[in-house]
Amino acid sequence: MEKTKATTPRKRLTDLLDPEFMNRLDALDVLSRKILQGKLQGERRSKRRGQSVEFADHRPYVAGDDLRFVDWNIYGRLEQLFLKLFIEEQDLTVHVMADASASMSVGEPSKELFIKKLAAALGYVSLVNNNRVSLSMFADGVVGQLANMRGRNYLHQMADFLLTAQCDGISQFETACRQIASARIGSGVMIVLSDFLFKEGYDAALRRLIGRQYDLYVIQVLSPQELSPDFGGDLKLIDIEDADAAEITVSAALAKYYKRNLTAYCNELKDFCTRRGAVYALANSADSVESLVLNYLRRIRLLR
Amino acid sequence: MQFLTPWIALLAGLVAVPLLLLLYFLKLKRRELIVSSTLLWKRAVQDLQVNAPFQRLRKNILLFLQLLMLFALLLALAAPILSLMSGRARRHVLLIDRSASMSATDVEPSRLEEAKRQAKVYVESLRDPGFLSFRGARDQTMVIAFDKHSKVMCNFTADKRQLIAAIERIEAGHGASLLAEAIMVAQAFSLAPDDQPANEGLQEAAKLILFSDGRIADLDQIMVSTDELTFHSIGESGKNVGVTAMRARRLYENPEEVEVFATVANYNAEPVTTDVQLSVNDDVRAVKSVSLPAAKGEDGSDAGGPGKVAVNFSLSYAEAGVLTVRQLQSDSLASDDAAWAVLAPPKRLTALLVTGGNKVLELALKACPLAGLDIMTPSQFDDANDLSDFSIEQRYDVIVLDNHLSARTLRCRYLVFGRPPSNIDVSVSQELEHQVVVDWRPKHAVLKYVNLMNLYTQKCYKLDLPRDAELLAEFNESPALALVRRNGSVFLLAPFDVLSSTWPFEPSFVLFCYNAVSFLGMQVGQNQDANLLVGDPIVVDGLASGQSALVDGPDFSGSEIKANYSGSIRFPGTEHVGVYGVRAEPAAGGAAGEARLFAVNLLDAAESNIEPVREITVSGTLVQAEAGVLSRANLPLWPFLVGLALLVACLEWLIYNGKMRI
Repeated sequence: MEKTKATTPRKRLTDLLDPEFMNRLDALDVLSRKILQGKLQGERRSKRRGQSVEFADHRPYVAGDDLRFVDWNIYGRLEQLFLKLFIEEQDLTVHVMADASASMSVGEPSKELFIKKLAAALGYVSLVNNNRVSLSMFADGVVGQLANMRGRNYLHQMADFLLTAQCDGISQFETACRQIASARIGSGVMIVLSDFLFKEGYDAALRRLIGRQYDLYVIQVLSPQELSPDFGGDLKLIDIEDADAAEITVSAALAKYYKRNLTAYCNELKDFCTRRGAVYALANSADSVESLVLNYLRRIRLLR
Repeated sequence: MQFLTPWIALLAGLVAVPLLLLLYFLKLKRRELIVSSTLLWKRAVQDLQVNAPFQRLRKNILLFLQLLMLFALLLALAAPILSLMSGRARRHVLLIDRSASMSATDVEPSRLEEAKRQAKVYVESLRDPGFLSFRGARDQTMVIAFDKHSKVMCNFTADKRQLIAAIERIEAGHGASLLAEAIMVAQAFSLAPDDQPANEGLQEAAKLILFSDGRIADLDQIMVSTDELTFHSIGESGKNVGVTAMRARRLYENPEEVEVFATVANYNAEPVTTDVQLSVNDDVRAVKSVSLPAAKGEDGSDAGGPGKVAVNFSLSYAEAGVLTVRQLQSDSLASDDAAWAVLAPPKRLTALLVTGGNKVLELALKACPLAGLDIMTPSQFDDANDLSDFSIEQRYDVIVLDNHLSARTLRCRYLVFGRPPSNIDVSVSQELEHQVVVDWRPKHAVLKYVNLMNLYTQKCYKLDLPRDAELLAEFNESPALALVRRNGSVFLLAPFDVLSSTWPFEPSFVLFCYNAVSFLGMQVGQNQDANLLVGDPIVVDGLASGQSALVDGPDFSGSEIKANYSGSIRFPGTEHVGVYGVRAEPAAGGAAGEARLFAVNLLDAAESNIEPVREITVSGTLVQAEAGVLSRANLPLWPFLVGLALLVACLEWLIYNGKMRI
């Protein structure tokens, strides 16, 4: 995790999110399709029995149990001690994994800013609803992380973290996912923001995030130039991450093949996610983050 | 179609086509562009390049167009020509008629110009090896222009520029058309051995290409195979009115009176009324309106021929001058619209009688209207005759030799009684006795009004005359009167002694003397030489050896010519009708002489008939004129192929730009 230098002025959240947008985000909350185990007591139903107002079950009293939870009505009828169990309400952990590899800095408008805004918006929604928020930036591994944020107090720290993060280095998605999974930051909603143009593939990496532990949302962010190339002629394309070169002569046929491949790639990722219970969304960095968050993410029920 | 340089194209193709294909595989200098990932691009390129490299060539319209363009250029390099004269190289002789009738303007600008144009088209059509050709075989062509005489404008050559320049140099003449000489020249040149063994086809007989209106006088004398001769007929209409005969003479009786006879011929199908004008030294003296009948058709009863009218003029003119008869109807041939005659001034004759004493003859001559009559004895005459500075010729118009055999006869007109001179090809085989005249020609000018019925001679010489002698009267065994022309002199021979005949007692004797002196003085002389036809040489004698003279013609002036060793000049360049003047340069210190004038006329009824002929008979076979106007036979195709290549290049550019636009 990159530390903010003391000399630099604090980055402001409003650099990423409009106040008006934040007002509208106040009304939203993160939804999870699964009942996941939280860490602290919170506002979400969990599978655990604990302290809440919602009755769950009875069980026989054993020595040492809190006598406050003994159901004296049943004792009156049956003369046996039963303990009332309640559904425990826990907090929800929201993990946001944002791609910080060099490829994110390519494109106009920049994918980097788009992803940071989107991460900020999701983080904002989560923090204001007292969810536990973990924010990770990854490239050739996890290159920065803010874990276990809870409450509005962390908003500025999150903004600071996002704004100071640099997109650099090659992407090794699998390494990053392995590190996240092994960090045991707790189960919760996992939102991965990336362009998913990984040469080594995304299958093995995503498999680590799919399972009972996480409710996975995959948001693929592509720039307009990637969605519809606007350049022509004889070109030598250089990969910004690994300096790999591809010599092409852009023709109508090649452009057609490119678009066909892009569509196939995106569909493949979507299928992969759908088959495994994850939710896939494609975003264009030229679109507004506001509209994506307020409309699309609500439609796919990531937010409500 | 045939290719002049196919090997060059093949070699170039072997180099260029692989080069083009190689260029297609060569890498380009590409613009670098940074992208987030090359992952999808590489997949797209892989998709596109399945089965590379041949996949790349498949359905590639650009390569196809480039190959097409290259093919067109290579084909152009092979120098294809359209059609035409295939086969081996040949020799061609272009025979271009430049006679008077070719000056007709029924074809704009003139028939000769049209003939030259067609000849140039023909030359352009000849096979010309491409500039990269290795083979030397090429058509060789010769250009001959002909009218009365033929003129080689250019010997056999394959150089088209030289041939066209030679054709351009041909100028219209005003002579008659005689083809035999031109064909003889062409055959002589084409038989000359060729120094290039590569030109195997050139040993064949040369192909004769005739550009003419077909009005050729000597077609019956031409011996040429009809498949060697191609005839291109030039001309459209035969409408023409021309002067076909003209003669001017002074009356014997009154030399100041001049009679002019002219014949005007109409070659139009309808009658024509025209004015005929007589002018003397360009001053108009008389104009007569004449109505000319229509020309008789070829199927007419009189076997065709123009409508002719004779026109006579009489005028009184006592000086030297040039008479011009001109018909004023405008037509397409100008050279026969006028005729000229040079008129010598009237001259009273001076005669010399050489006699040992003949009173009868002396009296008879004195009765004639002579300016002077000198009498010499034979010895005086021989003495004077031997002196070089004494020119009998200059002083006397007629010399009468009475029984005198002169050792040397100067150029003059002679009336000879008795034995004829020895050097005039007349021999005396024997002496005859008791001869009477049995026949004579009373219509001859010498015997006009002369009755020889009672002429008897006791003795006479039997003459063996040359073939060209003119027999005027005959004794029963020998010629009685004969006219012989030799060495520029004229001899009127009477092979008997007047005094031994009955003639002095006849009135016809005085008439004969009068006629003979008038005839010899007027008819023979400068006037005859001064009226020439086109192509006849101008001959002037009596100049100093090496003396130069300037000749002025109707279309040139100041052409210098030098007299030969015998003091005569001969100028052959009378190619145009009109008046020519010969001015002798003054000998050292002498005064400039007066110009002698010569009239050169067409006066050729056949040449005035300008109706173009579409078929000619050569060696008894009909040769049809080539149908249609001559057009280029050998069309080089390379400009079209280069144009196609350019078009394909443009198309390729358009398609390339269309493909690059996404």
